[in-house]
Amino acid sequence: MKKSGLAGFIVLILLLSACNQGQTQQSNPNDLSWDEIKQQADGTTVNIHMWGGDEGINQYMDEWVAPRLKEQYNITLERVPMDTQNILQKLQSEKQAGKKDGTIDIVWVNGENFKNAKENDLLYGPFRDQLPNFNDYYDQDSLAFQYDFGTPTEGYEAPWGKVQFVFQYDSNKISNPPKSFDELQTWIKENPGKFTYPNADDFSGNAFLRQLLYATVEDPKEIIEEPFSKEYASKKAEPMWEYLNTIKPDLWRNGEHYPASLTELDRLYSQGDIWMTMGYNEARAEHLIEQGVFPASTRSFVMEPGSLGNTHFLAIPFNSSNKPGAMAAINFLLSPDAQYKKLEPTYWGDNTPISVDRLPEEQKKKFDSLNRGETVLSTEKLENSFLPEADSGYVEWIKENWKDEIIRNK
Amino acid sequence: MRLSETNKAWLLLLPAFLFLLLPIYGLLSALWSSLRVNGTFSISVYQQLLARDAFWGSLIYSLRIAIVATLLSLGFGLLFTRTFTEYINKTSGKLAAWIPMLFPHFVWGYLVLLLFQQSGFISYMAFQMGIIDSREAFPILTNDKSGFGMILTYMGKEIPFVILMLLPIYTQQNTHYQDLVQTLGGNRWHSFKDAEWPWIFPVLLETGVILFSFIFSAYEIPYLLGATFPEMISILTYDWFYSGDWSERPLAFAAMISTSIIIGIIAWIGFSLMNRKRWLLTKGNR
Repeated sequence: MKKSGLAGFIVLILLLSACNQGQTQQSNPNDLSWDEIKQQADGTTVNIHMWGGDEGINQYMDEWVAPRLKEQYNITLERVPMDTQNILQKLQSEKQAGKKDGTIDIVWVNGENFKNAKENDLLYGPFRDQLPNFNDYYDQDSLAFQYDFGTPTEGYEAPWGKVQFVFQYDSNKISNPPKSFDELQTWIKENPGKFTYPNADDFSGNAFLRQLLYATVEDPKEIIEEPFSKEYASKKAEPMWEYLNTIKPDLWRNGEHYPASLTELDRLYSQGDIWMTMGYNEARAEHLIEQGVFPASTRSFVMEPGSLGNTHFLAIPFNSSNKPGAMAAINFLLSPDAQYKKLEPTYWGDNTPISVDRLPEEQKKKFDSLNRGETVLSTEKLENSFLPEADSGYVEWIKENWKDEIIRNK
Repeated sequence: MRLSETNKAWLLLLPAFLFLLLPIYGLLSALWSSLRVNGTFSISVYQQLLARDAFWGSLIYSLRIAIVATLLSLGFGLLFTRTFTEYINKTSGKLAAWIPMLFPHFVWGYLVLLLFQQSGFISYMAFQMGIIDSREAFPILTNDKSGFGMILTYMGKEIPFVILMLLPIYTQQNTHYQDLVQTLGGNRWHSFKDAEWPWIFPVLLETGVILFSFIFSAYEIPYLLGATFPEMISILTYDWFYSGDWSERPLAFAAMISTSIIIGIIAWIGFSLMNRKRWLLTKGNR
């Protein structure tokens, strides 16, 4: 009995490993024309794995994108909510296991996640320049698409949206929001306990610190253009640490504890414990007011020397089993219609990387006359203050050093 | 075919082994990842880990929190069970004691946060009743350096578990031993030490090992209620694992293995103590 059990087990293992080899061979989409890609995509299912923490974004994908994709391309879109780090972890495990027929067709990615994915060969590409919508409506030479936090994109990801870092405040409590980090410092001094920022491990907290780094050097261009090195960063960041240590005693809880996430910061703001919050999306206050989290008197502002902005992208995993479908879906997401709907405050309110000048006259008018909501700063104000992201090395470097400089040994 | 006793035991253990395959694979793969540097065997990751102040700080802090929370849970659990055995043994009593176990740790954590944070319910009540001048005057009890909020959460969740483990002993307790101690002129302390302790000690030890392992390596409560600094070892490990720079991942694996080793050592000490006690008990000799 024992022996037969063992034999059964071996058979089971063999069966399992046999399944692994029965992959369908498909031609490389790189050699195909767009019409052929569309043909191959017809009637397939595309699995998009993306961060699912925002109801507006989810609704946009499920209620607006999915039915139209079905109608126009005959593609079924399956959205799987998952943190980007976990998606990459999954891909990495699949790669280690030699799984060539993966379950993910599209990932939403940027910054250090893109860098990790690209450096570990987790992505399929280059595919971006094959997308008709990208070629027609996007500025191919834009630096914002060539580099993602200093990592060359090389066509491995297609631009999907654009966000800018803004601060939110309650206009009932603050009549004149600070115009620069110097004024912010004065404000914090005069209103002790009413300001804090998230931990440097948090995405938004880190962005706040990078923005401060830009403000405390003589010219932000130095940081943006100079390649990252630890020595250079240490030298340039000294005024930043000094600034942070100066404001520390007047922060919420005397700067002894920092919120672990943006959600926690938002909660403090909604309870009135602090009077300002912040985030990497210029239109974020719109939904939060609608959901009753933020007071209706919430407004947003940016400070000198400008506000950090970045582009976020869509990419295809190396082992996607439906690359033509993924390309067709991404092409649709980049289309003027899909971008316009994404920009409207109804669902998401995310800014568009599209070149409005390249659009047909009618579309152009539609984009120009869109009202994004009262809490969103004007397009000119946002564009004039736009500062691109520096090398993603700074993200990690700030994470590591913030704890040493501000938290430990003090 | 007849199975011998040993074979039978192995066969019965088979489901457990199959179930354990996954975690064991995870552990081995973590060990493997922490011992390979650029494709060759090396312990340099562990040397790096031991040289990091952040690691030692977190380790000692985590040990402290885990030990304090475990001992307090055991102590209060024992006290409750002893005092209220009769009441808890009724259905309504059981419900009252065990309902807290229905809620996940995360829910307990939020409850503690909503009640005890500076802008929380208790601070609000104290302010309204004029006990404190402003809500900021309320002491910082959550996300605090001493880990008060975390310990409170664990106690709320684990005391019912201790009661669950101890209750059968107290309900089935043979009271003749107590009578004997009293007849021989012993006081209440003697009665506890000689007639109760030997029976409950193994269970307390077992429960303690379970609680310690859980609290020492848990992530959610430290994330929700822990301070920015010092941080629990699980938070540090997670940050290393998911940091943008994947070169820190081996450190995360090494830290996880170290945590497992510590839990292993504590469990081993616990079980060997317990086995000795059980052995002595069965021999009627203590």
